[in-house]
Amino acid sequence: MRLTPRTTAGTFGLACALLATGLSVGCKKAETRKPGEWLVGYSSRDQSAEYTARLGDAVQARAKERGVKLVFVDAQADAQKQISQTENFISQKVDVIILNPCEVEASSPAIDRARAAKIPVVNVNSLTKAAPDCYVGSDDEQAGILAMEAIAKQLNGQGNVLMIHGIMGQSAQIHRDAGARKVLAKYPGLKLLDHQTASWDRAKALALTENWLQAHKGKFQAIFAHNDEMAMGALLALERAGVKKDVYVIGVDAIAQALDAVKAGRLDATVFQDAVGQGRGAIDTAILMAAKQPYEKEVMIPFQVVTRENVDQFLKK
Amino acid sequence: MTATTSPALDRNLLHRLGIVAVLFVIAGLLSVLTDSFATASNLTNVARQVSINGILAVGVTFVLLTGGVDLSLGSVVALSGVACALFAHPGEYPLFVPICVGLLTGGLCGLLNGVLVTRGGIAPFIVTLGMMTVARGLALIFSGGKPVADMSPDLTGLAGDLGPVPIPLICFAAVAVLSWLFLGRFRLGRHLYAVGGNEQAARAAGVSVPKVKLFAYGLCGLLTGLAGVVLAARITTGQPNAGQAYELDAIAAVVIGGTSLSGGVGSVLGTVLGVLLIGVINNGLDLLSVSSYYQAVIKGVIIVGAVWLDRRQARS
Repeated sequence: MRLTPRTTAGTFGLACALLATGLSVGCKKAETRKPGEWLVGYSSRDQSAEYTARLGDAVQARAKERGVKLVFVDAQADAQKQISQTENFISQKVDVIILNPCEVEASSPAIDRARAAKIPVVNVNSLTKAAPDCYVGSDDEQAGILAMEAIAKQLNGQGNVLMIHGIMGQSAQIHRDAGARKVLAKYPGLKLLDHQTASWDRAKALALTENWLQAHKGKFQAIFAHNDEMAMGALLALERAGVKKDVYVIGVDAIAQALDAVKAGRLDATVFQDAVGQGRGAIDTAILMAAKQPYEKEVMIPFQVVTRENVDQFLKK
Repeated sequence: MTATTSPALDRNLLHRLGIVAVLFVIAGLLSVLTDSFATASNLTNVARQVSINGILAVGVTFVLLTGGVDLSLGSVVALSGVACALFAHPGEYPLFVPICVGLLTGGLCGLLNGVLVTRGGIAPFIVTLGMMTVARGLALIFSGGKPVADMSPDLTGLAGDLGPVPIPLICFAAVAVLSWLFLGRFRLGRHLYAVGGNEQAARAAGVSVPKVKLFAYGLCGLLTGLAGVVLAARITTGQPNAGQAYELDAIAAVVIGGTSLSGGVGSVLGTVLGVLLIGVINNGLDLLSVSSYYQAVIKGVIIVGAVWLDRRQARS
């Protein structure tokens, strides 16, 4: 296709039309703020991942409930994008910034910029190197401890365990790993036979577990996966090989499918991470900050182990 | 234009001996280093695991032969898987409906890529880069950002076995054999080489270049749709996040197999060998309990090393 003035004009028109549709579909019109209404910026780590999407929903719901005006953006797992978004929040003069950080180190400059602009920051769900004004989240180490304790209890402290990591170097992976190893150190009879990453991904965890079944068949009694997606992948591999009954599987997050699997007696357990609790905590703290009222520096939302006995109360949430 | 009129299968086979040697050395090492590698159950396991990358790699071979590229494979796998899963709830539609929906979704994405490349005159890199983000976005929109679960056992059964043979492997083998026959025996197949080898000359010889390219992208899309259906069956859900960077493994396999990134040279047989090499490496590193950090490094070194050996041998 040659570029003639007509096609150029046509292309430009098309681009404008697309942009206009995109804008009208994608965002709401910026309204002027009512007096006394707080403006809060929220940067989600990744709205395409199930847990962080749930957290984003919870933040939006709580903001609506409490009459806070929320600027909601998605960093799509890119720390660089998250820093730009924080800069936008600063130029929009938001009262408080809530960050759901992408990475421990790389998202830190976002905190520094906000603090330099004297805007208070709440970190929700994960940590950054630079200290925010408040952290609302759950202690990932506790998730690792709870999961490995559940395994120790199931195996009476004797047996071989496999561990599937999340993406290496992410805050949740580091701390869930650390928690699990603390428990392993307590039980000399419990051995970590092998551990490997499946990058939070179900298909990768499925292939990894298939490979483990070749290498260590019959030699392991439990699998701890750092999230439920990977636990579901491991579960599928074990079920297909017909050895699920010999292996205890536990994940973290309590996503809908994992809860259904626990209810159906397929998955043994998962560790519930409270997205609604974290979202509420973040917005409530942001309001206190904006109103210059005292607030907690750290709001910890506890993890809970979900098994077949108590799964019904979580299915309702 | 030497390789364009006849794909010269025998010569290609000779060229691939380097890869075959690397494959044998690695397989031999793994058989010595582990008790589990050279067992029937593990080899079936490898075959099952390579099938998805294999189907994608054969598909993208067609596009690479024309001198194009398709970066949207991974996202289109996710979109096709989600589309398939949405129609695969138990008791809603007969089995062929979700399968066709998955295939058509992939096929349509491929055709759209092809139309934009041929009619729009936009570089394939840009077109398929656009498709990569559009398809990922659509997968998230259709699934509401959550895995589409509750698939019928009929469909998830597609990831199972037929006798001792994994069904995904049957799909991969069928795709590979048909593609091999097609490229070697059919006029349109030879035209693909001609277009990739020298577009001007092909046009002068009366080949309809846009039609050939459209066909390549459409077929690649259709096979990507198939890979999406197989993946959804394998993980029993339509995952909007699935397939991240699958295009890289697929293109790596094709290039290891001797297909030129500038088009006109290559073979399905080479692609299959490339797929096997990557699959054996992935499986072997897990069997050996190599740490996650080292796995990435070793895999990269073996891939580049294999291509280097292969090219060196091809030149001599």
